[in-house]
Amino acid sequence: MGDTEGSPGSSMHGVTGREPVLAFAVASPIVPTDTTAKFDLPVDSEHKAKVFKLFSFANPHMRTFHLSWISFFTCFVSTFAAAPLVPIIRDNLNLTKGDIGNAGVASVSGSIFSRLVMGAVCDLLGPRYGCAFVIMLTAPTVFCMSFVSSASGYIAVRFMIGFSLATFVTCQYWMSTMFNSKIIGLVNGTAAGWGNMGGGATQLIMPILFEVIQKFGATPFTAWRIAFFIPGWLHVIMGIMVLTLGQDLPDGNLGALQKTGEVSKDKFSKVLWYAATNYRTWVFVLLYGYSMGVELSTDNVIAEYFFDRFDLKLHTAGIIAATFGMANFVARPFGGYISDLAARRFGMRGRLWTLWILQTMGGVFCILLGASKSLPIAVAMMIIFSVGAQAACGATFGIIPFISRRSLGIISGMTGAGGNFGSGLTQLLFFTSSQFSTGTGLSYMGIMIVCCTLPVTLVHFPQWGSMFLPATKDVVKGSEEHYYTSEWTEEEMKKGMHQGSVRFAENSRSERGRRIASIPTPPNVTPNHV
Amino acid sequence: MASSRILFVVSILLCSFAMHSCYASELFSNLKKSILVTSSAKHGQVLKSGEANITVTWSFNKTFPAGADSTYKTVKVKLCYAPISQKDRGWRKTKDELKKDRTCQHKIVKRKYEASKNSVTWTIERDIPKATYFVRVYVFNAEDKEVAYGQTTNTAKKTNLFEVEAITGRHASLDIASVCFSVFSIVSLAGFFYLEKRKGSSQQK
Repeated sequence: MGDTEGSPGSSMHGVTGREPVLAFAVASPIVPTDTTAKFDLPVDSEHKAKVFKLFSFANPHMRTFHLSWISFFTCFVSTFAAAPLVPIIRDNLNLTKGDIGNAGVASVSGSIFSRLVMGAVCDLLGPRYGCAFVIMLTAPTVFCMSFVSSASGYIAVRFMIGFSLATFVTCQYWMSTMFNSKIIGLVNGTAAGWGNMGGGATQLIMPILFEVIQKFGATPFTAWRIAFFIPGWLHVIMGIMVLTLGQDLPDGNLGALQKTGEVSKDKFSKVLWYAATNYRTWVFVLLYGYSMGVELSTDNVIAEYFFDRFDLKLHTAGIIAATFGMANFVARPFGGYISDLAARRFGMRGRLWTLWILQTMGGVFCILLGASKSLPIAVAMMIIFSVGAQAACGATFGIIPFISRRSLGIISGMTGAGGNFGSGLTQLLFFTSSQFSTGTGLSYMGIMIVCCTLPVTLVHFPQWGSMFLPATKDVVKGSEEHYYTSEWTEEEMKKGMHQGSVRFAENSRSERGRRIASIPTPPNVTPNHV
Repeated sequence: MASSRILFVVSILLCSFAMHSCYASELFSNLKKSILVTSSAKHGQVLKSGEANITVTWSFNKTFPAGADSTYKTVKVKLCYAPISQKDRGWRKTKDELKKDRTCQHKIVKRKYEASKNSVTWTIERDIPKATYFVRVYVFNAEDKEVAYGQTTNTAKKTNLFEVEAITGRHASLDIASVCFSVFSIVSLAGFFYLEKRKGSSQQK
């Protein structure tokens, strides 16, 4: 333990195993407050907020939070805006089932690429411009819906609108410049969950807009085009608000500030190498495709499914479909929360079991949703399916921070891309062919979810164990330090580049669950104090 | 016999559990094709929605026995999708169970039943999608259940099919508004960027 506050090894966070990884606030001895800073919230030495005050709009921290999640929400609204209107659009553009399915695949594919690029853009221009660029440059693509007159045009426009989901990256990046890393888990989880709600809100908003516009005298084939102007305006409004009200860093904007040399840039190739050679990365890339991925796919097909199968009115189908996406408001944070709860008692093994149970439950109820023959049962199955899948998303990001310390950013990015890839794949396999109905497609997707969740049983941490195997008894290999410092070479360790990983390893001992008391002192660990 | 009584009771119970489907939903194959229907549209003709009109004429087929139409009360004339427009479009699928059948989605007119020549001239409405169609007339009894039908095409649905050229739904005013807002978005972004860069560099001087 260190003598001075804040020095490596002095942190008490996680030692008792009772503090959750995700917390609302960081207590003072753990991260010292910078008392010279004049912000609305207590801040640390980097002026990042230590407290997450949800209902405040104080500049800069909480204002950034709200600008950020609302921008992400807006992009979700426009990406999935077509979905509840498909019954009208398919008649206007003479679409076949294949066209509709391909458009759904296109809507989630564009962002795989744009999210990867956005990381670099945030580094160069800052998250404020990253967000504003994406949201204002995709606004024309939303307005383009008024020009669409064929299947290929429809697919192309949905593809381009899908690029806007890169705001996920700006959202998470921006949060990490504004909030202390001890609470960043909850902040990012809330921002991501509330942004995802846009996929549900749009199923409510668009049919209502459509009916209101029809009442003003427009024919159906014109009314849906006019309805798309509203998400377009939201893009422009949010873009302007981000530019005028937002700032990159707690102390100001990137362009106006001198970049302090504090950020020791790691080599991209090294970071990518350690991400790619860790098998756990790929397991989670696959898994996220079957929690987030199926959530996105369902956003695209669920309104049409209820409309056709149960003969509902457009706005009724929209309301039901909306409850699927809106469940994100609580379901995703809930998943993170019970992952933390399980970790308190059972450590990482608890987190893995929680993830498996939630995601498999989602899969089972997806099977039942497709097989439901009556409306009330279908709605009930859908709600349980949504909670399972979305809580699994939250639980996934309860584990991701522990896969690697060095490559956390890239692994998060790859996992996110895996989500979109899974969505594209499931839509292609199950919702594009005329061979089987949408209901059958949902059931098949549920079966695939259950199968593709099984690989979580393979994820093993030597220091904590896996679902079926306990931690290794070897004292060296079974230490957190060994796991996290194995990502650095001897040379890099001589330069002290691994200190962050060592601090993290200490803090991560909470993942042992109740076994904390029995930790033997690991030998040959690089000394914490120089 | 006791076993047959049990079977009877069980089937009643099963029937009451499967409420809707057991309530004798009409099947298309049970309907009598006792109405003769013709329309003014020729095979392969293309009609513009919002402009062109179609005249449908229907009457009771006299080759059927005289009292057969005693239960006929109302008539619905509908525009129905031809097989080519149903391909790869499950939401227009033909099903024998009339409650689930999606072949005829557009109502032309609803009238009281009369055995002698009836006709209606209908302008193709602007929400009719681009597709290939035929016309079918359904006859309902007093309980509002289908009892008979007639259609302009043959059983295989290959003759007398006509097309509708739909409106695009696009308008010049929408296109212009769309371009204006898009340009505004790009210009304001570029403007902000340029102004802030200039402010930044002038501050550094």
